[in-house]
Amino acid sequence: MIGAISLFSATGSRVWRDLAPDPVAGRTPGNMAIWVAIFSEMSEFAIMFIVYFLAKVHFPDTFSDGPVRLNTLAGTINTLTLLSSSYFVAKSVKSVRMNRITTATRWLWLAVAAGGVYLLVKYWEYQWNIAQGIGIDTDLFFTIYYYLTFNHFLHVGWASGALLWGIWRLKSGHYRQDDHEGLETIASYWHMIDLAWIVMFPLLYVLH
Amino acid sequence: MSLQPRGIDLIWLLLMLITLASSLLAESDTSNLFLVMVIAASVTFKGRMVIDRFMELENANPLIRSWMNAYFYVIPVLIVMVHAFPGQLAQWTRLN
Repeated sequence: MIGAISLFSATGSRVWRDLAPDPVAGRTPGNMAIWVAIFSEMSEFAIMFIVYFLAKVHFPDTFSDGPVRLNTLAGTINTLTLLSSSYFVAKSVKSVRMNRITTATRWLWLAVAAGGVYLLVKYWEYQWNIAQGIGIDTDLFFTIYYYLTFNHFLHVGWASGALLWGIWRLKSGHYRQDDHEGLETIASYWHMIDLAWIVMFPLLYVLH
Repeated sequence: MSLQPRGIDLIWLLLMLITLASSLLAESDTSNLFLVMVIAASVTFKGRMVIDRFMELENANPLIRSWMNAYFYVIPVLIVMVHAFPGQLAQWTRLN
């Protein structure tokens, strides 16, 4: 059993409470199709990371100066937001396993909100970049930065739509304690997007 | 029920703290190889936690789990190599 904070406790007094058991050993969450998609997307991001590494060793000064010119605060807020969104989605899945459908829906709404915050912060960051005279053709670092981050931006956008679909399915009774593979599928895809950002954050904002 | 160390709430908190620490490192000289290794290790840790605990692959199909985890060992090793041997790697990957 897992100890956890219950933000939506019915009693309001029990802060720590039991949570649902983990999936049965050997069982992979979601359906097989989403794992094909996840490995395809992870491979796509891996190719982009390799391009980044190759460009960095050939143009070390450009890639040393680039991260310093970016808005680290925006990158940090988006990292905290995406990691939190993954946590909210994980809590939603665990709530469904405990047959707490309303709670699961609320956690998923929080994840959608986090996705929205991410998109707004990224839009603001792009505007901030323009104000600093930074564009896609400024230098090779920023070309890769825009290619990586806009690609990721699109993923967060359409995956937020998938979360909304998950909320509708929860509310309409399609996901139950004993049948919620669809929700696990959406959750797995959302976590993949978080994983890609976990690599992107240090490459673009932290490492000089 | 007390908080157990494997709870995902604790993991979320750790991930938040590691991210904030990484942001602070961004203000320092992160070309230092030791700091690069620390940052690469943080990528491995964060990736593993999301894969095992949020994605719930800890007890899943071993092939899927091992490929996902491998991603978060290979990429951080590449991060360190790019900073440790940039000249050598540039020489190996030159087209002419």
